Amino acid sequence: MSAFLEYVPGTSPLHRMNPVAKLAAAALFAVACFCSSNLVFLAVLLACGFALAATCGMLRPAVGLAKAVFAFSLILTLVQILTTPTGAVLVALPWGYIGTGSLLAALTTVVRLVAAAIPLFLVFYVTKMNDITNAVVKVLHVPYKYAFTFTSTIHFIPLFMNDMKGIMEAQTARGVEFDAGGIVRKVRLMVPLCVPLLVSSVRKTNSAAIAAEVRGFNLRTASSGYKEYPFAAFDVAAMAAAVALVVCAVALGIVL
Amino acid sequence: MIEISNFSFQYREGATPVVQGIDLAIPDGAFVGITGAAGSGKSTLTYALNGIIPHCYPGDFYGSVVVDGLDTCDVALTDVSRLVGSVCQDVDSQFVTSVVEDEMLYGLENFGVPRDEIEGRLEQALDDMGIADLRDRTITSLSGGQKQKVAIASILALNPRVLVLDEPTAELDPASSRSVFDLLARYAREHGATVVVVEQKIALLSQYADMLVIVDEGRIRFADAPAKVLEHSGELERIGVNCPRSTTLMNRLRAEGLYQGPSVRNVREAREALEEVLA
Repeated sequence: MSAFLEYVPGTSPLHRMNPVAKLAAAALFAVACFCSSNLVFLAVLLACGFALAATCGMLRPAVGLAKAVFAFSLILTLVQILTTPTGAVLVALPWGYIGTGSLLAALTTVVRLVAAAIPLFLVFYVTKMNDITNAVVKVLHVPYKYAFTFTSTIHFIPLFMNDMKGIMEAQTARGVEFDAGGIVRKVRLMVPLCVPLLVSSVRKTNSAAIAAEVRGFNLRTASSGYKEYPFAAFDVAAMAAAVALVVCAVALGIVL
Repeated sequence: MIEISNFSFQYREGATPVVQGIDLAIPDGAFVGITGAAGSGKSTLTYALNGIIPHCYPGDFYGSVVVDGLDTCDVALTDVSRLVGSVCQDVDSQFVTSVVEDEMLYGLENFGVPRDEIEGRLEQALDDMGIADLRDRTITSLSGGQKQKVAIASILALNPRVLVLDEPTAELDPASSRSVFDLLARYAREHGATVVVVEQKIALLSQYADMLVIVDEGRIRFADAPAKVLEHSGELERIGVNCPRSTTLMNRLRAEGLYQGPSVRNVREAREALEEVLA
């Protein structure tokens, strides 16, 4: 299984799509999620996200991602539950109450965040970093240095996570018990490990920068990329569908 | 091809020079092996050859390093890189993409290799290294040895006039190490290229190199044909360079006055020499 945000080779329609079309469609999908507060519509979008993940064999990572986004959005939902006193009263609070509307608003937020995140993350699992870089340089005329910096950052995430895993395994072999105790204890044990991770990260990025430079990084131009990224009918259809989702989201917001 | 004159270098954060008083002339088309104990300054010497020093690591640089008439201090790193292809010791941090094919394409695209040549060069380099089946694999899914082969292939595809490799077989088994050296020797022969390899496996180096350079505490102790250098097996042992056992054996026989021939580099040569002595 691939690491977090690491490309997974494949031949699915999503794999074969134009990288720019994928990025644009995923961004529009996220915009659609934020343009609507209709829970049913957002649930449909969420289902679409999982369906997309299933078409490229990425359902498990998508579920994992959904769980992670859910965990991160818990704080947000807690604040929303405690500060949005709407609907029928369920629990009275000194400053208001928790109502059915509060729970609905919190649920809407969670569904919205998860639905918006899935297609964006899928883009990185089904597209080579090099293709994203070259496509945005060739098609969108983004300066190569900026595109390379962005994709290199994504490229390093799984590498650093792997380094962290290695450091933790080394510490575990020396008797540190990361599994014992709660999350707070685990975080306290992990904080000191950030120093060696930071040192190795800086060294790695420096070496990669040198490696890029000795292989002609500074000679790169917009036309240097070997591969071409033409738009096929499927790419146009996907972007049109994403635009339609945004229109639907806006229309639902106006009507409802 | 490469002229190093009175070269010394001290890293900015270092207290003493890592290499000093280096004088070395490497002719065009030579296959040079550099070896020495850990921390003797071998890698720093390779950084000077490929221009990484002084362009990427700041410090006090004395003397000169001239590659094909270009003083590495006077030209940009990119100008040196057009001539010199480098494979670093830590191949993991050398990769800038996540898929083998993209890693191969990276340098070819940057150096503006004509589009109709790219596919041919890519396939040739992958075939030469015996890793054509890895073309679509992600880098993280490869073993250490496979990564090393990809790193070498990505440089060979650029057809550099000078190849500088820092321990290119560190993670390879003996058979793969030999095949890499075979390939480097063939590349040097077919392209008239100069190859400089830093390597701990002195038996392998002495087998393939025209010149063996022994670095000790930042200075060149020996720089000569392998057979000449291996005559000093006792001194090499003292500075932390292990000679092949067959070399040590024949040198001892020479010291005892039982053998007068040149130093041997491997078991086959030792057997032939012994047969000669016994005859």
